[in-house]
Amino acid sequence: MRFFGLWETVLTAPDPDRLNDLGKRLDELQTRQAAKTQRQAPSQSSIAFRFATELVAALVVGGGLGWGIDWLCGHFGFHTRPAFMIVFFVLGAAAGIRNVMRAAHEINAEIARKRSDKETGS
Amino acid sequence: MNLNPMEQFAVKPILGLDKPLFEIAGHPIYFTNQALLMVIVVAVSSLFLSLAVKPNRLVPTRGQSMAEMSYEFVSNMIHSATGEDGLKFFPFVFTLFIFVLCCNFFGMVPGSFTVTSQIAVTFALAALVILMVIVVGFMKHGIGFLKLFVPHAPWYLLILLIPIEVISFLTRPISLSVRLFANMLAGHTMLAVFGGFVVALGSAGVWAPLAIAPMLLIVAIMLLELLVAFLQAYVFAILTCIYLNEALHLHDHH
Repeated sequence: MRFFGLWETVLTAPDPDRLNDLGKRLDELQTRQAAKTQRQAPSQSSIAFRFATELVAALVVGGGLGWGIDWLCGHFGFHTRPAFMIVFFVLGAAAGIRNVMRAAHEINAEIARKRSDKETGS
Repeated sequence: MNLNPMEQFAVKPILGLDKPLFEIAGHPIYFTNQALLMVIVVAVSSLFLSLAVKPNRLVPTRGQSMAEMSYEFVSNMIHSATGEDGLKFFPFVFTLFIFVLCCNFFGMVPGSFTVTSQIAVTFALAALVILMVIVVGFMKHGIGFLKLFVPHAPWYLLILLIPIEVISFLTRPISLSVRLFANMLAGHTMLAVFGGFVVALGSAGVWAPLAIAPMLLIVAIMLLELLVAFLQAYVFAILTCIYLNEALHLHDHH
């Protein structure tokens, strides 16, 4: 209660009504500001960029993994090149689409959360 | 004056330290401009945060208020993305967020160096996050953590789906690091390119007054970059939370 030290010398104790009033006003201000700052959904370009990286990264990982398996097989005398690379590239494409769907879910959940935050005003 | 827009990303030993500090397995280790910036970021952010909360007043000073706001921001983020038990990872996520944020912001100072524009740095951070997720997942669920890769589907589809899920998991460190690195690289390259326009136009005799146009554009891009600097640190931290959530709760999020 150091904050009220100055008044304490005058009033001997902080006025509970004024404290409550201050608390109420602070709460109001905070909810208003929270609603203001949380209104925006993630911007279109950042969503697009996110999807692009997810898709490309999955293709790179899938193709790379297949290439590695081919290399290992070649090491042990099996000439599979480029069979595994083709298969894993396709799997990578599927994984990329899975990633994009998951990212879309996350973004939707985020938007929904912000909307409900705004409605309850917490 | 060097007008190459990529020159700003060159990692080189700083002045007076041309000799390697030490060697690891024959590889010389230098103290570079990048290392210097990282040391500055760590020193400034930890000094600021610890000094700001030192007075610990009921009515905070400006510095204390900044420290408390960043604390609440990160703790709300973890709470909304992972729930109550994710708060154990507050120190990890907070450190990561503040480090990336400060690296991005210190990179905005003209003439300094943007640590997060190096894929080596962002990939190291992303690999740390994913290793953390794997360790936490195995500690919490034991071998059951591998269920993360097994979606609800008939067995004949699982033959296809399990490799897809594994690849999908392996892309995380890559997409996490590439997103941060590419954003910072693109923004700073753009700034340098338009900076080059200013110099080129300014020294073109009669055309010199036109140099004001790219100059104004730089101001606008600078503001945009400040936003991107914050946004990318936020995205990095929130994705860390989302991955941690999956490790903690496996398939609960569906």
